[in-house]
Amino acid sequence: MMMVRRIFSLIGPAVLLAACAGQPLAAPPAIAVEHPIAVSVTPVQLAHDTACENRFVAHRLGVATGVRMREITTYASNGAGLAAGDLDDDGDLDLVFASIDREATILWNEGRLAFAAEPLDAFFTRAVNIVDVDGDSLPDIVFTHRGIEVPSYWRNQGSAATGRFLRQPLDGVDRFAYAMAWGDLNGDNQLDMVSGSYEVELRSHGVAQEQIQVQAGVTVFTQQDGRFSAQQLTSRAETLAVALVDLDGDGRRDIWAGNDFALRDDVWLQRDGAWLAAHPFRQTSHSTMSIDWGDLENDGRVELFSTDMNPGTIAPAILAAWLPVISALEEKHGPDDPQIMANVLQAPGAGGWRNEAAWRGIDATGWSWSAKFGDLDNDGFLDLYVVNGMIAENLFRHLPGGELVEENRAFRNHGDGRFAPMPQWNLGSPASGRGMLLADLDNDGDLDVIVNNLRSNAQLFENRLCGGTGLEVDLFWPGSGNSRAIGAQLELHTSAGVLRRDVRVASGYLAGEPPRVHFGIPHGAELITLVIHYPDGMTAVVDRPARQTLLQVTR
Amino acid sequence: MKLLTRTFGMPVVERWFPILVLLDPGRLAPAAWAALATGLAAGWAGYFALQWPLWSITLTVLLALLPVGILKWRNDLRRFGPTAMLLSIILMAQGAHTIEHITQWVQYYLLYLPARQSNGLLSAANAEWVHFVWNWGVLLVVALLIHGGMRNGWAWLLLAVATAHTLEHTYLFIRYQQVLNELASAGVFTVTAQGLPGVLGRDGWLARSEWTQGTFLCTLPGLTTANRLDVHFWWNVIEMTLLLAAGSVYIRGHAAGPGTRRITR
Repeated sequence: MMMVRRIFSLIGPAVLLAACAGQPLAAPPAIAVEHPIAVSVTPVQLAHDTACENRFVAHRLGVATGVRMREITTYASNGAGLAAGDLDDDGDLDLVFASIDREATILWNEGRLAFAAEPLDAFFTRAVNIVDVDGDSLPDIVFTHRGIEVPSYWRNQGSAATGRFLRQPLDGVDRFAYAMAWGDLNGDNQLDMVSGSYEVELRSHGVAQEQIQVQAGVTVFTQQDGRFSAQQLTSRAETLAVALVDLDGDGRRDIWAGNDFALRDDVWLQRDGAWLAAHPFRQTSHSTMSIDWGDLENDGRVELFSTDMNPGTIAPAILAAWLPVISALEEKHGPDDPQIMANVLQAPGAGGWRNEAAWRGIDATGWSWSAKFGDLDNDGFLDLYVVNGMIAENLFRHLPGGELVEENRAFRNHGDGRFAPMPQWNLGSPASGRGMLLADLDNDGDLDVIVNNLRSNAQLFENRLCGGTGLEVDLFWPGSGNSRAIGAQLELHTSAGVLRRDVRVASGYLAGEPPRVHFGIPHGAELITLVIHYPDGMTAVVDRPARQTLLQVTR
Repeated sequence: MKLLTRTFGMPVVERWFPILVLLDPGRLAPAAWAALATGLAAGWAGYFALQWPLWSITLTVLLALLPVGILKWRNDLRRFGPTAMLLSIILMAQGAHTIEHITQWVQYYLLYLPARQSNGLLSAANAEWVHFVWNWGVLLVVALLIHGGMRNGWAWLLLAVATAHTLEHTYLFIRYQQVLNELASAGVFTVTAQGLPGVLGRDGWLARSEWTQGTFLCTLPGLTTANRLDVHFWWNVIEMTLLLAAGSVYIRGHAAGPGTRRITR
């Protein structure tokens, strides 16, 4: 255990910049922080990656969704998500898979990439988040469901003896939901939820328009003493992804609901405790299917990425496979309509957000669902992985099995924000991926990839790239309603620059993020300090963290 | 007034824009107006009686105007020679083509029609093979104009642009055939491959090539981001501008040059 010193606001940003300029320093430089607090840090040594093969190795997991259905049509075609988190507090990240046609499954991580499957009586699920809803420091599970069921809450009892998870009502959460995200939105140290419904599916299940008006849409559920109060932001939603991210630089989380079809994405900015509808983007994806964000150039600016349907290659055979569908799905447009049928990379600039996806080489990745940034090769820069494919007998009758087969795509970040395709990483699975997340499942300091495929087994891609090393951080905040400090911002100051991450519950498509934050550390870079900005404004500094460790930081 | 408006034997407007000399229908103006009126009347009659689509009305008007055009071009040939006649033909044809692009632009950006319905006035002609043939035709005519004496900087630039535009349509036509073959092999015969991206613009070859991604080319406005309608609108604007400039220089020189037929009234 090493104690962390507190540093007061004595020295200006110039020192911080000097520390990041690339020169190894004999003593950690003082980082100017406001509202410093003490934390205790337990470093846990991560395994050293010995199996360096410069590729990922695919493993088939014993979970599959959509295989029981005789025929996949819209909107079963949208598949299901997954989440990662340490459910049993054994240090290994476990997995929870949602399923559109059966019960959900927990894969207990037994180490060395061995998993034990356990069914959970949550049926016909879409998104899944692992989040400590009740602030008892035990990670719970929340699902959204296919059809006409409100989100279900599976409370962690803390012991396997009597069944670890018990379904309990999520008091006050009574709206239909497809996508969701969690965060402390009002600064009361309790986690709130934002959900978005998928109206077209509700209608297909016979839900009347009057009920949709009341029980669907995008809703903020604010938690107070275990009860949620609902505020409907809009009744119209075809929401496939919800992101809680600061869009206006005021340090508060805003809401971005990514909508399918021609319905424009919705954004609400937090202003004086109220939600103000805004239109910050000049361009957005037409059918926004996934949202992720990260600091791609390590310059302190966060870029945002949304996926859409756009053929990843323009080979005639690919275009012919798409054309019968895409010609019917032609992008609608109207006055000031920002939607384009392509992935969009929002980069901040003097004139606001600007779409740089085409320039960066990631505007077209296929029929893309989840897309996530993560430093896959541990070089200090966030790479990108996108899962693809579509199965719908009613759309792709001209293709065998009604399936548009498209390989998933991995992109390496050049370091200047541009991306290069990396087929040699062996991540180009042709299975029809939907939910996906990046997490270090074997505790070796690099990110593995887990994909919940539709109509075939889920896959784990074990990271055997030959990159740098890793640093992982688990934040614990016992006694707080936000026991994993969801929303905290982390800065790792290294001799190679400042790497930034945030702790979140959800991003991408239907995917729950593990609260364990991963930094890739390039060869030769010296770790100087880790600065943790808690969501309540307090800041902690950890000096000289060791590489290839998991830091368990307790406030 | 005449002293003000005429210098060097030519009206001021025509001194600055000598191409107008060639575009002036002269004695055929009444006939042209009559043909236009007849064509419009026939087109509207077809619309009301037979529910003709817009492209049929447009075609009727063009067919009505064609005899007058032929007479005009015959006069041009007799008065100014074959090169000027060819220039006159291409100016009018490309002028009509420009109207078509402007109409498409209006349909898309002002009427908010989907791209596939923003087909201009002559929607039936918005087919990949028509574009292919048209652009090869324009390129051939530009080459003939240069061969016939329209040699100036604008003309050479026009030749380069027309060549590039034609190559883009050749690329489009080949891919159109390839995609149609793929569709046919999948048993799909009801879907058109019309409207695919070409070399330039969003999802075009340049945007998707690993040779160009991340380079300055992808930062040039529209080069890898414009939609097909915009790309071809601007192709046409550039070509038309260069054609007018090259034609003007040619006619001005032709009017003054020794051993050539004067192009003045």
